[in-house]
This record gives sequence, structure tokens and C-alpha cells, in this order.
Amino acid sequence: MSTKMLGLILAGGKGTRLGKLTQNQAKPAVPFGGRYRIIDFTLSNCANSGVRNIGIITQYQPLLLNKHIGNGASWGLDGLDASATILQPYTDNAGSKWFKGTAHAIYQNIDYIDSQNPDYVLILSGDHIYKMDYEAMLEAHIKNKASLTVAVIDVSKKEASRFGIMNTDVSGRIIEFEEKPARPKSNHASMGIYIFSWKRLREVLTTAFSTTDDMLDFGKNVIPYYLKSDERVFSYRFSGYWKDVGTIGSLWAANMEFLDGGDGLNLYDRSWRIFSKNPIAPPQFVTENARVNNSMIVDGCYVDGEVDHSILSTNVDVQRGSKIVNSVIMPGVKIGKNVSIKYAIVGENAKIGDNAVIEGNKDKIEVIGNSEEIGVLPDEN
Amino acid sequence: MCAIFANKHEYNQMRPLTDKRSLSTLYFAGKYRIMDFPLSSIVNAGINNVYTLINQEKVRSYFDHLGGGKEWGLDTIGSYDYIDFYQSMMQQKARGENYFDDVINFLETANLPYTVFMGNKMIGNFDLQSVLHFHQENNNKVTAVFKRVKSDNVAPDDQIFILDNDNTVLACQETIDSQKLENYNLALNIFVVNTAWLISELKKAQRSGSSTDIAKRLSELSAKYRINAYEYTGYLRNIHDIKSYYDANMDMLNKKDRDSLLYGNQRIITRIRNEVGAYFSTDSEVKNSMFATGSRISGKTINSVVSRRVVIESGSEVKNSIIMSNSQIEKGSHVEYAIIDKNAVIEKNVTVKGTKEHPAIVTKGSVIDEDLIVK
Repeated sequence: MSTKMLGLILAGGKGTRLGKLTQNQAKPAVPFGGRYRIIDFTLSNCANSGVRNIGIITQYQPLLLNKHIGNGASWGLDGLDASATILQPYTDNAGSKWFKGTAHAIYQNIDYIDSQNPDYVLILSGDHIYKMDYEAMLEAHIKNKASLTVAVIDVSKKEASRFGIMNTDVSGRIIEFEEKPARPKSNHASMGIYIFSWKRLREVLTTAFSTTDDMLDFGKNVIPYYLKSDERVFSYRFSGYWKDVGTIGSLWAANMEFLDGGDGLNLYDRSWRIFSKNPIAPPQFVTENARVNNSMIVDGCYVDGEVDHSILSTNVDVQRGSKIVNSVIMPGVKIGKNVSIKYAIVGENAKIGDNAVIEGNKDKIEVIGNSEEIGVLPDEN
Repeated sequence: MCAIFANKHEYNQMRPLTDKRSLSTLYFAGKYRIMDFPLSSIVNAGINNVYTLINQEKVRSYFDHLGGGKEWGLDTIGSYDYIDFYQSMMQQKARGENYFDDVINFLETANLPYTVFMGNKMIGNFDLQSVLHFHQENNNKVTAVFKRVKSDNVAPDDQIFILDNDNTVLACQETIDSQKLENYNLALNIFVVNTAWLISELKKAQRSGSSTDIAKRLSELSAKYRINAYEYTGYLRNIHDIKSYYDANMDMLNKKDRDSLLYGNQRIITRIRNEVGAYFSTDSEVKNSMFATGSRISGKTINSVVSRRVVIESGSEVKNSIIMSNSQIEKGSHVEYAIIDKNAVIEKNVTVKGTKEHPAIVTKGSVIDEDLIVK
């Protein structure tokens, strides 16, 4: 059996800058937009692009992420000639196989990739919000007879120094790569999405790791090596919405853009749906006392208070007299009476007691951790 | 336990809502279909062998909703979801063939000591394990489930039990007699039976050419053997006409009914759709209403049940109404005491208005461009 293009999602990162929200779960499992988790966008892009065999490489706090992905059925990856495989570090006779970098994580899973026998591997990260057709990128890769294709997006000159920047010739061939340059020569930023012709990448990785350990990372090691060895490395221009939600500020901002529709993601487009694992929850209910404005609310919510310019995720409870403004409330959060929440992200299953005040501002978003309990909570009966 | 799930009830009084779908697959409480309630009760009792009887004239809506039964856990190894047309029993009977053989074959293959029979039109949250315990404790051959209801919760073809003070079934009858009673002991078309006994009764019935109506037969047998009936006390609506359907949806705006049906220990399972959250714009004004995902609300929505992917534009008003999925209420329109079926469009500045007793009905996919007032 062979697979034309195998998807490999790097989902092992901790997402340190998300602080409390990733204390007990991996960044790709962080909830987004009311009824999704961040990795749903990448998984749904795969499913919609016809990439039907996917390895998900996890390492940091994988329990929730693994449970979310399951056998991939939520994304239609449980059918014939389709699979979602969770790949975690393991030990063998050569010792432990903790992943030391992005390329190293791929190398450590070479047995899995060989078992899928792909012509191409699509390397993805599980922590971006975007819609992208990977099949079109593969067509470009094949047309260019490329050995490696790197997806790039144009960023502002100011931002460019935060990214890996690809300098290309007129044909789109990458001639130079600079990691976080102080003075960027172009604004083509790498999105961390790569298509490799597997045969060649396999050769490069096995040769490198049989002697030294200097091929750990795609950005730092593999791409510079490919360029140095005169491999055909091409860029693939992407021009839609693409957001790294790596910080509290950017996670909040991306949720607000999602709410306002300013991201152009158009989640109402049923030809490119974002799928997720759906919990069993009753419909949402908005009471006589509630006021809901410019907000998104999903299944299982009960709103008896005021919600303004906010997102309430699955099974959120807002009691009377409480006011939620410019905030993101993650699944399972219980909010008591007369609570004020402004410019905040409230983590999954947190409990907020009556009269609590949680107020941040636009420049400093307040964060309540997952399952954190604030204020005086009523006794559980 | 295994289950026989008979989606047999259809009523002319439900038309036009059931013109293109069966009563079982009609929307309820926004995101559910009526069949989700009995089927969830079945699978919540740990049953995964289900013999489902459906209407051969309305096959599409069943398969669209049920699929392979994945959401209900009926697609795993060890589960057995057998679907047959209930009309085929009648056709077999007319041809003089053994019309219960397929059911008997299912019961023998499932090979479980108890069987639950369930009908399709009762909306409730039934704990079948507790009925089974009752059945075992009373050493019954068959245990019928009933509820004391007012006459508005009784349809003309329902079975009513006459009970003594210990809930022993003394008799059953089909119609409400002329003398109006305060309460009726409505048979809920839910029975727990000993499988071996059921098989022998079905064999006996088809030898003597009795009716193909298994529920009716089990009601009669409950009276014949004077069994103790099980009283259900939770939320119940017997969906048999437009009014009962409308009222049942409106019940969901009432906290006590909603909690009893939807927020109980047993979860109601339905088909998964991947929709984005419901969006409420700055123009929206929403009171005492229930919503499913994928909707975009900009108008006034009061005392209403709104299904998936509904658009309510700004300046419009929806009151005391049921809006089924993917319908559109355009700017300036006014919808009150109405049932708007799937994919319908209420055009700009149009009024659709019924009464509490006679809700206005807009049929599936229709476009309403002039006022529709029901008095």
C-alpha cells in the first residue's frame, strides 16, 4: 500500500507563552472560537484537501489532545484508506526517543512513515488558525519538480524579523533563508508548512543521524542544508488569513477576529468545513433576563446574564446579573451571579464564584487557568 | 436487553409537517429529531441490539439522520442494528406468510433474556434499566409503562389502561370514553418483556392471524395477565397533532420541563453536525429562547425555538415560534405563533401569524412573499 502524500502534524510543543492555559494540556488542544480546538483547523484542512492519512506527533501533556483526536473519526479519517495515528516518543534498544527538534521528531517516526510508504510528506504544525488547500500546494511542488516546497505568507516588514524569511528568485525558487533576520531582505515568511519528496528527505535524515546529531530542526538545519546542497527548494505563496495563536494576546485577538468575521475565514462556507469532536450537549438557552450582543454562543450554554462581544464555548453557565465583555470563556466554565469579566480568557472548567471581578484591559488580557476556582463557590449538592 | 424500536405512528393531523418526512424525523427543540428521544433511552440503557421498524415511504429522512448509527454507538462490534419496513409485516400477512419471522429471528440472534419495545412518538427521558428492575422484582412476563395524563395528551389510537390501586392492569381500551376523566393512564408504548415469552407470543399471534401491531398486542397481554404496570413520572408529550407538537417545543422554554428532558442524567444523543457557534449581532434582542449552532441572529427573538443554520435578519421579529433548520427570516418581517419548516424564506416585511391554538405553518422550502395570517 502506498500513500501519495502523508500528513505529519507536529503537535508536541508546550506553548510556554500561553501560561496557565497550557499548564496541563498541549497548545494544539487549547479551545478556540467556541467549539473548536486549535488543531481542528489543521486536521480539517487535511481532511478537506484529501490528505487522508495523518500522523500526529505529540509529546508535551498529550492526554487531552489524544482523547480529542481519537481515531480521527470526527474528521472522517476512520474510513477506508484513511487513518489518524498518534505518534508519541518511545524507547527501543537504542534508548529513549524524546523528540529534540522538528526534524528529529520526523526521523524518530521513520518506521511509521515507511509503513505508509508515501511519495511526499506534508509537515504541519498544529497551532495555527487558517484554511488552506494542501492539494494545490502539492500540485505546485510537482509542477516545480521540487525536492522541498515551503509555504510562505507575506508579512509586514516590521514583523518580518520574527519569522524565518525566504528570499526567492522570479520563479519562486528559494535562494536564501534567514532565520529571524534583523534586516529582512523580503517579507516572505515561512509558515512552517513543508512538502518534502520523502525519498530524498529520508536519505538526508538517515545519513545525518547515523553520524552526527546536526539535523534536529527543519528551520535551523534541514532547510539550510537543502539550500547548500542545491536541492530544488520552492516557495508556495499563501494569501489568506493565517494566525499564530502563540501568546495570550494573540489568542484573544484571534478569537475576537473570529467573532467579528474580520479574519475572512468564513466558517459558514460548508464546502470547507472545520470539523471537531462534538460533545453531547443540549441546545443553548437564553433567558428572559439575558442580554446578548455581538457574541457567539454554542451548545450546552445557559445565559441568564449579560454577554457583550464575547465567545462562550460549550456548556458554559452564566448566572443572573453577571456581565461578560470582550472575553473568551472556554468549555465547561461556571460563572456565578453578579460576576464581572472584561478582557479575559477563562480556562476550561474554571469556576467563578458570585460577585467575582476579573478585569483585564486591551493590552493585558486577564487569564484564569483551567479548572481554577475563583471566589466563594456554592456547595456542590 | 435488546430492543424493538417501532417507528410506526403517523398522523394526518401532523401534516403538512410530515408530508416529506416521518413523524420520527421531525425536528424537536432545535437540534433534535423526535426519534432521538426513544433511541437515546434505548442506548442509554446499554442496549446495542436494536431492531428498528421504519416507514417504507419515508426512508430517506431516517437514513439521513441515523446513518450507520455511529452517534448512538450502534456501529461497534457486538452491536446489531437491524432495519426493516413495518409495512412488510402487513404485506407478508396479506400474502398469508409468517409475518413475525423476521422479528423472531432478530430476537433469537440477539439471544438476550429481556427485550424492550418502544414506539416513536412519546417525548420523554425514559430510564429503561429502572423499568427492567421493576420487571424483575415483580416477576412479570411483560411490564407496561404508563403515565397519568390529561386528555390533551391522548391521541385517538392510544391504549388507555384501567388500573387498580396497585397499578395492576385490569383492562385496556382504545378510545377515551364519553365521560370525561381527570386523568388517563396512557400506555406509553414502552414494554419490557421476557424474550422467550415474547417469541412464543409472537408465534402464537401469527398462527392465529392477529394484528401486526405488537404494541397493541402487548397492552392486551398486560391486561390478560394482570401485570403490575410501571409508572413514568418525568416529562412527557405525546406528539400526535400540530398543537401537541407546538406545545412540546414551547415546553422547552420552561425551565422545569427543559431540565427534566434535556439536562437529566441521561443524555439525549443526536446526529453530529459541524456548525460554527450561533452568532448574536449587536442588533439582536433575544429573550427566553433556545438556539442550535450555526445560526445568525440579528433580529428580535422571543419565546422561540430556533434550529441550526437559521438566519434572523435585523429589524425582524420572531415570537412564540418554531424555526427549523436553514430557514431565513428577512429584514422587517414578523413571525408570530408560527412553525417555519426547513429551508423556508420569509421575505422582507412579510407577516406570518397564527394563534396559540392554530400556529401558522410554512412548509419546507417555501418562499413566503405575502402576509400569511391564520385566525
